[in-house]
Amino acid sequence: MSDICEARGLGKDYPAFSLRDVSFSLKAGTITGFIGRNGAGKTTTIRSMLGYVHPSRGEIFYFGMPFKGNENVIKPRIGYSAGAVNYYPKKTIRELISVTRRFYPSWDEDACRSCMKLFALDENKTPSELSEGMKVKCNLMLALSHRAELLILDEPTSGLDPFSRDELVELFRELKDQGITLFFSTHITSDLDKCADHIVYLREGRIIQAGEREEFRSRLGLPGETLEDTMLRLEKEARDEKSAR
Amino acid sequence: MKNLLVKECRLAAATITYFFLAAGLLTLIPGYPILMGVFFTCLGIFYSFQTMRENRDIEYSMLLPVSKAEVVKGKFLFVMLLEGCSFLVMALVTVVRMTALKNVEAYLTNPLMSANPAFLGWALVLFGLFNLVFLRGFFRTGYYIGKPFVLFCVCAFVLTGVAEALPHVPGLEALNVPGPAYAGTQAAALAAGLAAYALMTWAAIRGSIRSFEKIDI
Repeated sequence: MSDICEARGLGKDYPAFSLRDVSFSLKAGTITGFIGRNGAGKTTTIRSMLGYVHPSRGEIFYFGMPFKGNENVIKPRIGYSAGAVNYYPKKTIRELISVTRRFYPSWDEDACRSCMKLFALDENKTPSELSEGMKVKCNLMLALSHRAELLILDEPTSGLDPFSRDELVELFRELKDQGITLFFSTHITSDLDKCADHIVYLREGRIIQAGEREEFRSRLGLPGETLEDTMLRLEKEARDEKSAR
Repeated sequence: MKNLLVKECRLAAATITYFFLAAGLLTLIPGYPILMGVFFTCLGIFYSFQTMRENRDIEYSMLLPVSKAEVVKGKFLFVMLLEGCSFLVMALVTVVRMTALKNVEAYLTNPLMSANPAFLGWALVLFGLFNLVFLRGFFRTGYYIGKPFVLFCVCAFVLTGVAEALPHVPGLEALNVPGPAYAGTQAAALAAGLAAYALMTWAAIRGSIRSFEKIDI
């Protein structure tokens, strides 16, 4: 399988936090879960991958091209959703769609309609009238409507009820079957047990493990442990180790 | 770029911004510092930037398949379109004042700046100043608009004062003649204003792209 995306030594320095040497790759047609506790650097990594944050070090490649300088070619092939829709709260979803679709030659009206139906979104409503979960779905609908080859989703299942989360995970599996690559951050690791092929685990700005889920289990997990159990245990061990020093 | 312009007009622009385009009609008021029309147009544009910030427009723009440089160019294009519309209103009113209303006593005895090509040149300089000070300042952070706008206000009022005072300097009276006399001098002043606008806007776009590329959203 070819690499759809490759992060090479990404780093970002803040006064109180540093992202250090974050490297991983995403294989075509796979689902990769990006895990780590709050503040581990997941969002910084994702925002660095998309040019929102200017990385202090490293490079990001999509489809074999460096992101910098090729945004116009790469971005139409990527869908990004940063959790809930948090822009233009007083514009109707219809207005947001009608402006957004202009930017995507590959905009798929049928996909848009079916997402609206699947997520029970009313195009006459404004984001301010939606619950947090529905805002997440609205952002996802926009990301899924232009036939993106790679979906980068930051905490897509946060704020959703268990049933909606389950629906979303099912949708992720369907998208994967269609050959779409998904990369999503979450701290609800039980969702990854159901769908992820690969896991990238980040702690305090460093990659602890990046690889296949089974490899993650065999290297870091104990028999009978779920992903959540493993992550909880590792985080506790790290905390205890830190306090012992 | 057309799509970005549509996005600015349909999503980002504050309705009041379009209303402020009518500020060009202030050019009709005799005994009034008519360059204030430019200031009010810029104030209207400022309101749009306030709306954009409240609505997290930069965040939304970055979602779209456009580069950071194009986000900057899209905003400049939007502002230049508004400035162009406002300038057109001022130019039309200037033509009316110089032709149909040329013998109106209030305009002939006007102690302040007359509506003529030199005035339009000054208007372009002020618009260029807005682009260089406000827009350039905004793109240093992609967020803060207060300080760049206050700085523009100070510069604009100083420049307006200079523009009003200059025709009272011996030898420069030609700049304030309301009729077609000294048309050549006034056309040269308009051309100089246009050149200043182009230069300041070009510098503002270049500098803004450079800054915006470096900042974190």
